[in-house]
Amino acid sequence: MPEPVLEARQIVKRFGRVQALRGANLTVYPREVVALVGDNGAGKSTLVKTMVGVHPPDGGEILFEGRPVTVNTPHEARDLGIETVYQDLALAAEVDPAANMFLGREILRPGLLGKLGFLDKPAMRQRSDEAFDALGVRIQDTAARVANMSGGQRQGVAISRAVTWASKIVFMDEPTAALGVVQTRNVLDLIQRVREHGLSVVLISHNMPEVFEVADRIEVLRLGERVAQLRPKEVSMEDVVAAMTGALTFHEEDRQA
Amino acid sequence: MSSTARGPRWRLTFIAVLALAAALFVAACGDDDDDGGGGGGGGDGYTMTLIAGVRGDEFYITMNCGAQEEARKQGVELDFQGPDEFDASQQTPIVNAVTQKKPDAILIAPTDTKAMYVPIKQAADAGITIVLVDTTLEQPDLAVSQIASDNEAGGSEAAKALGELIGGEGKVFVNNVKPGISTTDARAQGFEDEANSLGLDYVGMEYNDDDPAKAAAITKAQLAKTPDLKGIFGTNLFSAEGSATGVREAGKSGGVKIVGFDAGPKQMEDLKSGLVQALVAQKPADIGRLGVQQAVAALDGKPTKKQIGTGSVTLTKDNLKENPDIPYKSEC
Amino acid sequence: MTTPATPTDEVEAEELLEEEREPWWQRLVTGSSTSIALILVGLIVVFSLLRPEEFFDVNNARNIATDAAVLLVIAVGMTFVIITAGIDLSVGAVLVFAGVVAAKAMNEVGGDNWGVIFVGLATALASGLGWGLLNGFLVAKAKLPAFIVTLGTLGMALGSALLITGGVDQRDVPFKLVDTIGSGRAFGEVPYLVLIAAAVALVFGVILAATRFGRYTYAIGSNEEASRRAGINVDAHLIKVYAIAGTLAGLAGFMSLARFATTTIGGHSTDNLDAIAAVVIGGTSLFGGIGTMVGTVVGVFIPAVLRNGFVIVGVQAFWQQVAVGAVLIVAVYLDQLRRARYRR
Repeated sequence: MPEPVLEARQIVKRFGRVQALRGANLTVYPREVVALVGDNGAGKSTLVKTMVGVHPPDGGEILFEGRPVTVNTPHEARDLGIETVYQDLALAAEVDPAANMFLGREILRPGLLGKLGFLDKPAMRQRSDEAFDALGVRIQDTAARVANMSGGQRQGVAISRAVTWASKIVFMDEPTAALGVVQTRNVLDLIQRVREHGLSVVLISHNMPEVFEVADRIEVLRLGERVAQLRPKEVSMEDVVAAMTGALTFHEEDRQA
Repeated sequence: MSSTARGPRWRLTFIAVLALAAALFVAACGDDDDDGGGGGGGGDGYTMTLIAGVRGDEFYITMNCGAQEEARKQGVELDFQGPDEFDASQQTPIVNAVTQKKPDAILIAPTDTKAMYVPIKQAADAGITIVLVDTTLEQPDLAVSQIASDNEAGGSEAAKALGELIGGEGKVFVNNVKPGISTTDARAQGFEDEANSLGLDYVGMEYNDDDPAKAAAITKAQLAKTPDLKGIFGTNLFSAEGSATGVREAGKSGGVKIVGFDAGPKQMEDLKSGLVQALVAQKPADIGRLGVQQAVAALDGKPTKKQIGTGSVTLTKDNLKENPDIPYKSEC
Repeated sequence: MTTPATPTDEVEAEELLEEEREPWWQRLVTGSSTSIALILVGLIVVFSLLRPEEFFDVNNARNIATDAAVLLVIAVGMTFVIITAGIDLSVGAVLVFAGVVAAKAMNEVGGDNWGVIFVGLATALASGLGWGLLNGFLVAKAKLPAFIVTLGTLGMALGSALLITGGVDQRDVPFKLVDTIGSGRAFGEVPYLVLIAAAVALVFGVILAATRFGRYTYAIGSNEEASRRAGINVDAHLIKVYAIAGTLAGLAGFMSLARFATTTIGGHSTDNLDAIAAVVIGGTSLFGGIGTMVGTVVGVFIPAVLRNGFVIVGVQAFWQQVAVGAVLIVAVYLDQLRRARYRR
């Protein structure tokens, strides 16, 4: 069993009086798709946010490739090679896809102009087009505002952005929740392709059929703690749901690959 | 709204511009009826513009009414313009635009004795006859005439009126606006001199920054300092109003008499309700009338009077009936 | 086959076949500032037809441009602020404060030379910058609503100016300043004030359109949280944006001082709304994320042309307010219609 690329141990997070995470765990191995499932309010989004620098945790530790790290800002997560596709997509709707793709990482013109902050828009546009093509995301006019695109296209932009920049892990929070059939298909294919690119994907999802289709492993979160680590090949969907609701309990075991 | 990108948008823009053009044509044509003299009919046919110190002020509106009347008599076409605020930065663009029109004469109440010199001089250099009304310039020589109320005389009238109200003797106080305004300063000075010569006990003057709340506070403080104060002169609307508020809040209504300046609608209300006991009213309509006359005289090549001081009328509740035309109007 | 206004997944396949990238000239023509620019051109045409000699004249154009110059400088700063979905109500007060402080400083130093003028300029810019930083800090760090913050600084700046001057306009301005920058012209034709305003609009327009700073401004206005998550230092950026607005208000104060040779304390109470109106007319959205500098320039000139044109045509003073208001509403309404067709 290879070493986990990212591991969260006993993460604690409080929001005022609400204890969102009570010692939650998450393990991500290289080159895998792991689904993080749980009922509403189990703490999935919160756990992810503590690991990507949106809200630093109140307790617990995070290990990246075996060594402890602190991830207090999204910047620090990105430096580690971790990218995120948030549930709300975190896209700036009034600007174009290329601008979103390069948000915070703009390509500047060479020389003096670049030092003054002048953007190299053609370069960014071209690189985005390449990225979209490579991932099979179909966007006709990369100069149009993201606000004018369909939900599927926006999802495509957000995922492309994360995948292009990530070097280790991509977190995806409910990527298909608002999509129709065709688009969901595209996203699931995309997720597989991402794994083929050499990255790991942590997929938060409610949708059992999807999870069973793409995930290598499933980690179940319930009431702010991990209650099971399962393999889709070895269990049924009902088992997973049962773990989510607490009807069944599983022991955490160290499984061989 | 599903449609192609071009059609309706272009149409809409086009319609809007047409509508604007139509509106402007109507406004431009509709105007000529408002101006005196139906354009060119009879008399001299001169064109003039009256530029007020501030647009919405009853003082200047009344001035315009008087000017329009005289313009009609003389066959003069008179425009009325004015800035939103009494300030040189807003009056200057108007003067510049009027200069473009090249009327025969401009009647103007400059909002700054120094800053308005340059634009008015440009108008004069373009051959336009200048008459200064109400306020003036540091260098007034470019004008054929300056017409204003004799504010010092007005202040003097106020002292006389207050003296009568308080029975000929007692302590009096001036609630003034701020230093550096020629009109209110002159009123305060005229009041002080006359009060002294009448034998009234002049206890002093304070500035209220044209703020009625401050004026009230000053009044109350003064009443506390001088419990036997009998009369107050407020040199403008806010000063008089604030003084009245202060007197009422100190519980001395009726005991302390107040004389105000100017006769706008609010001041008339205060007079009728007994908040103030007398008002010294200027005669802005006269200023307007005389302004047009002087301009016509200059244009006709006749001699003009360099300085004209118009008078004032002291209004009380009792003599209102005899002076129906004195209160300032909000429209002609 | 019609294209529905709301693309859905099912018809996406069809759409992909139909959509094609708009050619650049079409993008320019349907660009957000174009319809409003057309309206400006329309107004100029109408006034020129009504009064060809008086309106359509170099001298008049000079007047209009000079009248608009000070407001344009303020509006440039306001454009940045509004694109971030913020607002700055303090600009008129900061303008007055800067003018007052600059006049005082120049009087203290004394003399009538470029050195003194430079002192005045530096003082005006520094005071504007100070108020801008205060605004930015309170909005970004203390997380107070921009409306409230800038309303507060409006009061403080104007109050301070009144305290310093006792409410009386400061008139002692070095003559050289008034004579050269205030009323002087480059090449005998273009007033320096207009040149300064044009330069400011150009420089900041380029910054807005072509630099990272400009892009971050749009991004933050469009989605502040997304910008944060993308690693942009949103707080620092907001502070800078408000600082720009403040500094430009300071520059505007200095320009106004040069033009009128007095501090004109009482004449700027609606500058903030005039600037906001100009920016919005030009196509910038109050909700943030959208706007152009070209639009702002057009937006400043529309009321300027209207006011000048109305006086020349002879529209009576009271009708002017009605007419200006009506034109503004029509202009913004048209713009909204155009926006609506592109929005989902």
